[in-house]
Amino acid sequence: MENAAQFFLLLMLSPLVTGVIRTLKARLQTRRGPGILQLYRDLQKLFSKGMVIPETASWIFTVTPWIVFFSTILAGLMIPMVAAEAPLGLFGGVLAVIYLLGLGRFFLALSGMDTGSSFGGLGSSREMTISALAEPAMMLAIFTVAIGAGSTGLTEIAGTAIGQSWRFLAPSQMFAFAALSLVLIAETGRIPVDNPDTHLELTMIHEAMILEYSGPYLALLEWAASIKQLVLMTLLINCFWPFGLQPTWFGFGAVEGICWLLGKLLLLSCAIVLLETVNAKMRLFRVPELLAVAFTLGSLALISTFLF
Amino acid sequence: MLMMPVLDLQFGERIVTLMAALVLVLQIAMVSQRWIVLHIRIFAVQSLLLAMIAATIAWYNHAPHIYIAAVLTLVVKVILVPILFERLVTRMEIHEEIEPIVNVPLSVLIAGGLTLVGYVVAESFYRPDAPGVGHNALAVAISLFLIGFFTMINRRKALTQVLALLSLENGLFLAAISLTYGMPLIVELGILFDVLVAAMVLGILVYRIRESFESMDVSRLRRLRG
Repeated sequence: MENAAQFFLLLMLSPLVTGVIRTLKARLQTRRGPGILQLYRDLQKLFSKGMVIPETASWIFTVTPWIVFFSTILAGLMIPMVAAEAPLGLFGGVLAVIYLLGLGRFFLALSGMDTGSSFGGLGSSREMTISALAEPAMMLAIFTVAIGAGSTGLTEIAGTAIGQSWRFLAPSQMFAFAALSLVLIAETGRIPVDNPDTHLELTMIHEAMILEYSGPYLALLEWAASIKQLVLMTLLINCFWPFGLQPTWFGFGAVEGICWLLGKLLLLSCAIVLLETVNAKMRLFRVPELLAVAFTLGSLALISTFLF
Repeated sequence: MLMMPVLDLQFGERIVTLMAALVLVLQIAMVSQRWIVLHIRIFAVQSLLLAMIAATIAWYNHAPHIYIAAVLTLVVKVILVPILFERLVTRMEIHEEIEPIVNVPLSVLIAGGLTLVGYVVAESFYRPDAPGVGHNALAVAISLFLIGFFTMINRRKALTQVLALLSLENGLFLAAISLTYGMPLIVELGILFDVLVAAMVLGILVYRIRESFESMDVSRLRRLRG
């Protein structure tokens, strides 16, 4: 039951979040923007189209969209969204979530190189560079949170967080939050690191990898990207601002939990939009600097849990 | 009723710790910053946080003279010095980026390491029974001090070195107010005017260096040798 509910929520909510971010950003730049529901329409259109598969592509090319999509969904089912109790608790909890997302990224990078187009290879190499730098920072921040809960299981982490809503004011939590926010920007390909709106830039990262995809496969990848964004955003808000998070998925509490979730997602989206609008995209060689800051913040977070 | 002030004090301590942590984050942000105008603004925000820390300590410990220090910090470091420096930047038409000697990712990591040193040093001063805001603020202050030194060594341009010196002084101020609830007012006044005068003199010096060498790179001063 809760499995199905969260599955549905992930599938249906993620295009909405992307749409809201795009619309808000357009409004902030005094454009009209494409409307909140545009990604749903795009997905529907792409699913009803035929597709072109390059002659040079191997089986990796066809299997990648499925792996990316389902590993992201699986990761999404393991995080607490509405209730602290996650529908699925695999080994390692949050570690499994991170490495499921890593699995998706691995196959995406492979498929970028698979077709032999130079753009795909560039995109893959950039993506791997950035993720290799982002991952340690993310792990450090996550471990800080996990130490507070005494477990890497996300259900336990969210459960402890419920008891102490103001915990994020502790310095170590704040460092971890800052580190994880920077990682979120890098991982979801948002503006100081990558531009999510275009595949016409030479410096694109995510878009370069999926440049050869079309039709339903492209739809799967786009959908997976927006689900990944939702998963990471939810992870961030429910670890650090557990307001309104319900202990279990029962009855009326679930509705309240969903309302809180939507509110917090909206707030975080506003923050992302602001950040994207006031910043210009970084040069690729400057990205390691941003991630070094994230790494330092992450290690400070871990250190200060022991020292403060 | 008797419990209230104690509770208040603890809450105040938490707020101060939080703001001190933010000050540390800003210090690390300064190390990683390449644009000088942003660097100046981060410094202003950091000083604003310091003024707020001072005001919080004054409020929770009923020490009115710290308010004066807070207001002075606000006026001098949040308003006067940044305006002075930004005017200097526009007048000298500095467009190029800050180029640190050690590259930025490594400097940030070094700053993190220095913070660890700061904590280790502060730990030895810590006494659980003694009054005072505690070793967190002191640890942050020592870290600010060390990172400030490192930034001064790490920069080539005179103006950015001055900014590093000022953030180092912020560390001193934090140590003073968090350990002793403020030095005597006259000392605070002295330090603040010192900073203001230093900033102005150094500003003029930077301008002169720029005039005579057409660069703010202090390593060119070696040419003065006979």
